[in-house]
Amino acid sequence: MFWRPRVGDEVDEELTFHLEMRTREYIARGMDPQLARRTAERRFGDLGRMRTILHSLGTRRNRQMERMQYFGELMQDLAFTIRQLRKNPGFAAVAVLTLALGIGGTTAIFSAVYAVVLQALPLRDPSRLMLVGEIYQGAPHVMSVGNYVDTNVAIPDFDHGLSALNYANFNLADESTPERVVGARVTANYFDVMGVQPILGRTFTTDEDQPGNDRVVVLSHRLWVRRFGATSQVVGRTVRMNGVPYHLLGVMPESFDLTTDSEELWTPIAFTPQQRATHDEHYLTVYGRLKPGVTRRQVQSQLDAVAMRLRRDFPKDDETISFGTVPFVEQFIGDYRQRLLTLLAAVGVVLLIACSNVANLLLARGAVRAREIALRTALGAGQWRIVRQLLTESLVLAMSAAVAGLIIARALVTAVVAWSPSEVPRLEQARIDPVAFGFAIVIALASSVLCGLAPALRLSRRRDLQNGLRDGGRGSTGGQRDRLRAALIVAEVALSLLLLVGAGLLIRSAIALQQTATGFEPRGVLSARITLPVTVYNEPAQVSETLRQIHDAAVAIPGVSAAAITSFAAMGSGGGSNGLVPEGREPNAANQIPSTLRVITPDFFTTMGVPIVKGRNFNDGDRRDGPRVMIVSARLAALAFPGQDPIGKRINCCEPGPQALKTIVGIAGDIRSRGPALPPGPEFYLPLAQVPDVVWNWFRTLYIVARTPGDPSALIKPLSAAVMNVDRDLPLFDVRTMEQRLSGSLATARFNTVLLSLLGGIGLLLAASGIYGVIAYYVSQRTQEIGVRMALGATRGSVVRLILSQAMRPVAIGAMLGILAATAASRVLASQLFQVSSTDPLTIAAVVATLLGVALVASAVPARRAATVDPTRALQSE
Amino acid sequence: MANPSPELLHGTLDALVLKTLAGGRRHGYAIARAIEETTAEVVAVEEGSLYPALYRMEKKGWIEAEWGLSELGRRAKFYRLTPKGRRHLAAQTAEWSRFAAAISRVLLTT
Repeated sequence: MFWRPRVGDEVDEELTFHLEMRTREYIARGMDPQLARRTAERRFGDLGRMRTILHSLGTRRNRQMERMQYFGELMQDLAFTIRQLRKNPGFAAVAVLTLALGIGGTTAIFSAVYAVVLQALPLRDPSRLMLVGEIYQGAPHVMSVGNYVDTNVAIPDFDHGLSALNYANFNLADESTPERVVGARVTANYFDVMGVQPILGRTFTTDEDQPGNDRVVVLSHRLWVRRFGATSQVVGRTVRMNGVPYHLLGVMPESFDLTTDSEELWTPIAFTPQQRATHDEHYLTVYGRLKPGVTRRQVQSQLDAVAMRLRRDFPKDDETISFGTVPFVEQFIGDYRQRLLTLLAAVGVVLLIACSNVANLLLARGAVRAREIALRTALGAGQWRIVRQLLTESLVLAMSAAVAGLIIARALVTAVVAWSPSEVPRLEQARIDPVAFGFAIVIALASSVLCGLAPALRLSRRRDLQNGLRDGGRGSTGGQRDRLRAALIVAEVALSLLLLVGAGLLIRSAIALQQTATGFEPRGVLSARITLPVTVYNEPAQVSETLRQIHDAAVAIPGVSAAAITSFAAMGSGGGSNGLVPEGREPNAANQIPSTLRVITPDFFTTMGVPIVKGRNFNDGDRRDGPRVMIVSARLAALAFPGQDPIGKRINCCEPGPQALKTIVGIAGDIRSRGPALPPGPEFYLPLAQVPDVVWNWFRTLYIVARTPGDPSALIKPLSAAVMNVDRDLPLFDVRTMEQRLSGSLATARFNTVLLSLLGGIGLLLAASGIYGVIAYYVSQRTQEIGVRMALGATRGSVVRLILSQAMRPVAIGAMLGILAATAASRVLASQLFQVSSTDPLTIAAVVATLLGVALVASAVPARRAATVDPTRALQSE
Repeated sequence: MANPSPELLHGTLDALVLKTLAGGRRHGYAIARAIEETTAEVVAVEEGSLYPALYRMEKKGWIEAEWGLSELGRRAKFYRLTPKGRRHLAAQTAEWSRFAAAISRVLLTT
């Protein structure tokens, strides 16, 4: 070290000395002392300025030299560390791999979180874009056309007004094979509200958004590439959709394909005057862009005013209406934010366990190096210098781990994307990009401090160092150091218990879900959808004739034991909901029972394996000209007619006039239509043969379900051939077995369960190896003491007991802390659990037992080794 | 301030200081005196240039400083040539003799 005075003193002293010497020189030449002094000073010019210049030069010089020194020491430390690690390749490999596992896992999940949650949406100023909707079950949902139109004119605080969207399916049939495309009918201002511009051509105008002018279409980038070869000549072309020509106006940018399954084309919604006046029938998705400076709250009070007026003007349809807003981003990401953050937290816990394992390794190594460190201190290295040297080692380990971790993360991201449920928005965009790279480096830095600092501070302590010199590198056996090791065990056990409880709860939920009866028999059933476009099938008689032909063709397929047509099968999309009012009650909102409707052919129940628990099934006698009949689910029967026999009772629904009253002829078993996690809701069935003409448009997209004793996927080919035989322009779409639909509805839950279990397993493994390492070290340090004990008559059993009790104390404390942490943290899982409490004692007990068992095994191995110590040899080695 | 001595060519002061230090460590005043004496007072070293030059060269790592006792027993800051400074001096010397030879060839040829 240099002895360096403050720059100011240095400059002053040096200049004073110079002046004195000069003055002396002039006096020696015979000058008068005063003149000599003045002359010497004059040679400097402005002395004050000189001081300032030298001061700044000196400061810069000092800084430069400090940097040089620091850098030099860093290079020394690096070279030394690399030499050390090459001497201990086993230690280096274990430490790097442990950390790489943590860093890689964390980086992979982070890149998923980044892609899904953090990444900005490619829309102009997405934070101002809101979903505006009628409040349904506490949250804004869709709107009716009438309510949309009235709200739109009444509220001035949205840029470009409110836009409305209605998803619609289109049969795209030109030169190539017919294809089913999900599109949307939107108002002309939709693209302005979303804040996107077409890359080719234009979007439609308000004039084109009128009935009769609306045969125009805008393509998504995806459809343009897939179906039109991405040529710029498409604009102005004519496309046949649903059997009629559409004029192609433009193409939207690739960034507007927000997800892989978002809509692929847009046509004008072109409300008719009747639609504009309809306040019932809620199906519009409405978006609005807040004007700059306008808050959600301001808009809310305007929406409240509109709702109040609508309640007054349309008491029948809008009796209980209210509106609300939700930021588009929130609605877009949905509950995946929370699921992914849970995973990120879990993988962060694995990283923490990895860090404490490496901290343990560093401590053990430090004990071996105590003599070398003591020597360096004796030779003049300060504590900070030693700490820096030790931290350099953990830094080198962490940076190597970051490199290995990034390789692991790449593989993990690919696996996660390939294997995750497809409905997670934007997950397919997850990749190891510069952001993920930066994240990996930052957490590597953090973990190098996390795992390196405590050991470095401990090892560099002067008191310990003196011991280090004295007992010649055998390492000190002071309780202090063991306490740090015990603390690490406590942390590892607590953290892995936290993970395992989370995983355990999800596994129990998954088992419960698997065992839940869905109310139908999915095995052996194939389901597929078709749409009869209004442009070709506009006569009700033509529709029913075509459906009859398709049904007959499906039944005739060899191997099919039963087949049916239904407006909705189970799981996935489709199905309408109606508010049912039992006969004799006031037709107001309070008396409505919102129920799921299926319009079916009679063989639906045999095909799906749903029992008729009372009364009768539909039959050929239930025709258009006969009395209206209905089958209700057991749940609806209980809600509508508690304590009474519902057969023969009547319910008002679905159409105006005298036909609205339908007589209940049977009760069907309950179905968990929206997935096993949700309880069965009230449902009702109407015969397809009695669908009134006015509502046919609601049932243009239908399911065909077919049961076979064999493999249902073998039916795919014959079924689509059978449908093509009836109309070669009708594509089958969404073709899946019912078992696939069922498992698809559980995909997200399964994904989290498997991932969390995997992380819990890794945590357990790391914790076990950490416990093993500490106990093995403990035993090796106490070989002599054990020898003495055995020489004094201790039995092997008592030695094993001693070691185990030493090992299990921190494990027990860790387990206790872990239980506390788990009961507090598992609350975040509550929404993902099914029939399991988030503090389920059975799960916690099982996890604690597993952990204790693993800890016992991990410490039993070194304990047995201790018991085989030969007392004479142990004592001789002293 | 008028300077009676010939102008020092750019960078020459550095070389002169380094050369002076090649003989061993010296404090600032001693460096100035040594140059003046060696050049028989033809070159008067200005303090206003000398000290900034010393600080700059210290930063460049050509010289390093330490505190010691002067010949009269006063505390003084001594400068010493570093290996890097020695290399720089050698390069400067070579450069200078090439330059001087070239100038001489022009000016002294009759």
